[in-house]
Amino acid sequence: MAENIVVTSIGILSALGLGTDANLHSLVNNKSGLRHPKHLRTIHSAAFLVGEVDLSNDELAALLGIAPGDNGYTRTTLLALAAMQDLLKNADLELLRKESLAFINANTVGGMCSVEDMYPDFISEKQDGPFVKYIDTLDCAESTLNVARHFGLKPLMSTISTACSSSANALILGARLIQHGVVKRAICGGCDALSRFTLNGFNSLKNVDKTPCRPFDQDRFGLNLGEGAAYLLLETEADAIKRGATILARFTGYSNTNDAYHTTAPEPGGKGAARTMQGALDKAGLEAADIGYINAHGTATINNDAAEGKAIETLFGDKVPFSSTKPFTGHTLAAAGAVEAVFSIWCLQQGMALPNLNFSTRMEELTISPVVQLVKDLNIKNVLSNSFGFGGSNVSLIFSAA
Amino acid sequence: MMKPVYILSATAISPQHSFDPAGFLQPVMSSDNNKLFVQDPDYTKFINPVAIRRMSRLIKMGISTGMKSLQDAGITTPDSIITGTGRGSMNDTEHFLTDMIRMNEEALNPTFFIQSTYNSINGWLAMQTKCTGYNQTFVHRGFSFEWALMDAQMLLNEAAQPTTILAGCFDELTDDYFLVKSKVDYWKKSPVNSLELLNNIQTKGTIAGEGVAFFTLSNERHNASCAITAIKMLQNAEAEEISQAVNEILTQSKLSPADIDLVITGRNGDAAREYIYDAALKNIPEDTTIVSFKHLCGEYDTSTGFALWLANLIAAGKEIPGICITRQGTNGILKNIILINHYILNSVSIILLQIPQ
Repeated sequence: MAENIVVTSIGILSALGLGTDANLHSLVNNKSGLRHPKHLRTIHSAAFLVGEVDLSNDELAALLGIAPGDNGYTRTTLLALAAMQDLLKNADLELLRKESLAFINANTVGGMCSVEDMYPDFISEKQDGPFVKYIDTLDCAESTLNVARHFGLKPLMSTISTACSSSANALILGARLIQHGVVKRAICGGCDALSRFTLNGFNSLKNVDKTPCRPFDQDRFGLNLGEGAAYLLLETEADAIKRGATILARFTGYSNTNDAYHTTAPEPGGKGAARTMQGALDKAGLEAADIGYINAHGTATINNDAAEGKAIETLFGDKVPFSSTKPFTGHTLAAAGAVEAVFSIWCLQQGMALPNLNFSTRMEELTISPVVQLVKDLNIKNVLSNSFGFGGSNVSLIFSAA
Repeated sequence: MMKPVYILSATAISPQHSFDPAGFLQPVMSSDNNKLFVQDPDYTKFINPVAIRRMSRLIKMGISTGMKSLQDAGITTPDSIITGTGRGSMNDTEHFLTDMIRMNEEALNPTFFIQSTYNSINGWLAMQTKCTGYNQTFVHRGFSFEWALMDAQMLLNEAAQPTTILAGCFDELTDDYFLVKSKVDYWKKSPVNSLELLNNIQTKGTIAGEGVAFFTLSNERHNASCAITAIKMLQNAEAEEISQAVNEILTQSKLSPADIDLVITGRNGDAAREYIYDAALKNIPEDTTIVSFKHLCGEYDTSTGFALWLANLIAAGKEIPGICITRQGTNGILKNIILINHYILNSVSIILLQIPQ
């Protein structure tokens, strides 16, 4: 039950690119992935910046050996497949096929990115057409099942949707399944594609920034949406050592709590966020001072940053460098927890704190500010990553040096 | 082997009268158009009048069912809330989506967007019960509720103290959803009377349903009438794997097929799915009672919730309603129940329930 869980492979696709090298290169060179959308067809494309993956659906399909066009694969699934392919480059596929495995995926709107284009056909009198291939793609499990099938895996599968904390929750579930002995290994993460549905949803809440988002800044306005997918392979430390796998990080702490305060807004004093971070510290057996870098949720919405900033200040004072990487990737929603877990692991491995782009003025209610330039040569033993979502859903994860 | 999970209370809204279990099946409700919609209870007893006005029906159903389950268990604040849903609030999703298309992405109402979020019922229940603990939503199609139960079992096994979890599931039927899925042959081509569903196994497809069920679960026995011992999920399984899985689940619990006193099956009238139950029942003795339920609630992602509610009712001493019995056995005291269900897209779940003696 108390087995140590480690991360032995990662796969990532974001607006910064596909794979570790592309993402890391942008992060350490202050290169944001935000731009006006070229794949998402929306009347708002001139108004809003998004963290859109550069590859088109056909380009993604080509990378995966899938026929182009209306192939029945939604962009959500294609993003997931590409990130999983990246993970498998450094994993033993035969081992994953042979030994017990869980695949815990997460997303917020399933294949809405395709369904919203075809919905008029869905509900028309038409019985046939390309849309028929997409009828079962709206639900969140579709991408999960497709990923497993594409790579010839027969894992125990699940899909989680807790808004913007979804893939952080997927990581927790995977670790617990291993600790209970249900499976030997778990691939956990999430995927979300940009959709008009989500963009207009957040826009109807009036919290989408038309300029690059400014997390933890006094003059922040809101978020930029993004898309992407990221997966992490988890197993026990003992198993990883036995098979000679490279251990990227240890997954030592996690916590899932709820604000029980409001349907969309966090508790303004940050009590919920603080409780979650404290819970993760307790689980890892660490003190606040043991954390070397915090990858904040930092959506740049008025409410999130006020609550999260307050919580970080309460728990960590000005001792721990923190930043939000949302200005690089946009808010990738269900994928964010896994994308930022990957970023956090790189910070742990390389002793760095990533910059919080676009910050200029400290929030008047805070005495702390995020890191604004890349900081290197830090001695980081543990990193903390936050993911908070609608419905009061709060998750914190802690990764520790291998 | 994980320790069992005790069901302290169970509440369901379904196409039958079920919210008040004393009035279950009085009268039996049926339909002739391949759709079964729920019987609405009085939601105003569980939700404040200001909030209720903007709520869509599934949100109201979810909150009311969850709150009543806790009330029946005598619990104000559970330690955790875990749910499963295949589709979340379809009405809200469809509403926001069609408005967005019709109004060309202008002037949209955020309420529908917020309520379409899969975990919105969890958020409401956390607020109403002041539950700041673990909160989770599974959206894995036909296994959504099974995962909620599995997670609850793991969490209750992790807990060192007495712990209670509110676990539930919710899915709703809409006319658009019915139309859309008819294009990929989910439903029977010609209308059948819902009560005749299980006598219509020569044709493909089933009838559509909906429902909500919530359970207050604990790692302590208290006065529980039923315990969940083991949960197994099989994706794209062949007949042989299904028979084996039933044997495995029994062996793990040191039981033989003869120890099973009652089998609850999710047969849904689809000719193409009968093999699942033939396989699952292969080793079950001829004198074991078999009960079915989808002619009462229709097919939906989380119908296992209704089946578990029914199992718990029977476990608590309710006489098995004749309308559910597809084979009358000769068993004595009810001790072990096996619940086998499937969902349209090739998922089969097997749940072993035991009645504390």
